[in-house]
Amino acid sequence: MSEYTQQEMMAIATGREIRDGELAIFGVGLSMLAGFYAQAHHAPNVRSLTEGGVYGATPVGGLPWGIECTRISANATSFTGALDALGFLVGSGRCDVGIIGAAQIDKFGNVNTTAIWNGPIGPGSRAPKTRLSGAGGANDIASSCGRVVIMATHEKKRFVEKVDYISSPGYIDGPGARQRYGLLGGGPSAIVTTLGILRPNKDTLEFELDAYFEYSSPDEVVANTGWKLKVSPNVRVVPPPDDGELRILHEVDTTGMLRKK
Amino acid sequence: MTQYPTVETQANRTRQSKLVRLALAVAQYTRDGIQYAPGSGLPVGAESVAFGRELVRQGRRNLHVVSNCSSQQLNLLCAAGAVTKAEVGFSGLEVYGFANGLRRAVESGQTILEDYSNLTMALRFLGGALNWPFVPTVTNIGSDIQWYEAANPDEYPSKGKIPAITDPFTGKTLGALKPLRPDVAAIHVTFSDPRGNAVMLGTEWSRFELSRAAKKVILVADHIVSEDLARQYPNLIRIPDIVVDAVVHAPFAAWPQCSPGLYDSDEEHMKLMNAALKTVEGYEDYKRRFVDPVETSSDILKLIGEEKIEQLTHGPTRFLADPFRKWILSDETVAELTEGR
Repeated sequence: MSEYTQQEMMAIATGREIRDGELAIFGVGLSMLAGFYAQAHHAPNVRSLTEGGVYGATPVGGLPWGIECTRISANATSFTGALDALGFLVGSGRCDVGIIGAAQIDKFGNVNTTAIWNGPIGPGSRAPKTRLSGAGGANDIASSCGRVVIMATHEKKRFVEKVDYISSPGYIDGPGARQRYGLLGGGPSAIVTTLGILRPNKDTLEFELDAYFEYSSPDEVVANTGWKLKVSPNVRVVPPPDDGELRILHEVDTTGMLRKK
Repeated sequence: MTQYPTVETQANRTRQSKLVRLALAVAQYTRDGIQYAPGSGLPVGAESVAFGRELVRQGRRNLHVVSNCSSQQLNLLCAAGAVTKAEVGFSGLEVYGFANGLRRAVESGQTILEDYSNLTMALRFLGGALNWPFVPTVTNIGSDIQWYEAANPDEYPSKGKIPAITDPFTGKTLGALKPLRPDVAAIHVTFSDPRGNAVMLGTEWSRFELSRAAKKVILVADHIVSEDLARQYPNLIRIPDIVVDAVVHAPFAAWPQCSPGLYDSDEEHMKLMNAALKTVEGYEDYKRRFVDPVETSSDILKLIGEEKIEQLTHGPTRFLADPFRKWILSDETVAELTEGR
């Protein structure tokens, strides 16, 4: 068995969530690598788009610097814009699946990429302690895609009981909330981390440990989660990447972004 | 040359060029305190960074910036202390990381940052373009983008930022967005003719809507081309001259960001610039080296340097510009057609 990094395991496990033929939107960075890996490996007919409205492209020369840069624009079959990609194809509810990242995430799969205060914001919250990047298109993807896969490095400080700020909604505060606000999409189907895969309990919508990796364990995942993480009674170990998967991931990740420790 | 039938009318003979020098455009069209839209608002891509540099050089203050995303332009304007309020969907630099100048301004409370998303900023420009009273939205609802208004933080959840409304047909709840009609938009385009018929290579992001929403539209073009381009490919002219007030020729207008078809993003300078903007001293030094010396838009070429230009212009998208190169006007012709040269 070849060597692989935790980041590569996370990308491959995320890629396995993408099915052939789906209309799929990938965010910048790791999400894009996982998505294009799926396309190169088992989903050749995935119809991928970036939120900038760049369609039909396969990145060249390394990980794209952004959703609009020359590396993603070199072999596109259509250029349109945000209103088309994020509106007509995503906001409309038409897109099957999206992949987004998270700086902070909570037990209902709510994602914070906006800023860190000192705990959840409320009346009178002023300037944040640490400004992050904001929601970008992830809020629109999380609101409206059929399902969403969230990627995050598994650390206790990131996996919190309640995020400081909901940039992109998961199940908000539990069952019924997405419907109450009128969100079209189904919500996050999985949180794929560097240590395992979390999925929502179908009754409580709280995320539970569904699977761990060859090199991790349920105890390790629980210890690195900031809320009292439940372990599914059917918890299983995820098959490690096979040589074919790794070879194709390396082809997509030409600059070795995922192999950096 | 292009063959198309023409009619020699008086109007055809007397229509004037809208080309104006960058410094003059900034002086004529911008004021302290305006609502300013840097288009496209792409963090790494085609963006009117040259216009932002000139805003800083001329010392504009108290700007209210509305933009799809942040970019090195907003990063620089924030670092300069020129931005009182910014409304954006995204405030980072994608793979280049967090925007340090913006970050410093937001964390210190100097800039009020109002968060939306990349779709809802485009929808707000669309609403402005259509002159709608509000735009219904089914995203940003059920999140802190709706509940937290940075400009009015004591009211949480906010009732005024994205008010919940009822769909009159189905009775369902959704959100209402405030449309945007910026005082001035400085929109980056790859090619424009002297009247403002423009082609954008790469994603147009929200430039189409913005060009109809803004009260004054200034195009910031990498190249000025003959009007024959528009006659040949009228479908590609997504920004037509009838909505354009002025055209600025600015080579490498998006530098250090990229302009698909023309140049890659300058990885080295993207990092150098963002690292500099992290501190007041770093910003001052950056301004001295890379903002103040740019008195005319072509001065930027000296700063980038021949070797770097050679490298950046031979990227993977170069072929995209090939069909258009024959219409690019020479610097001499452009100068003759430019006001304030």
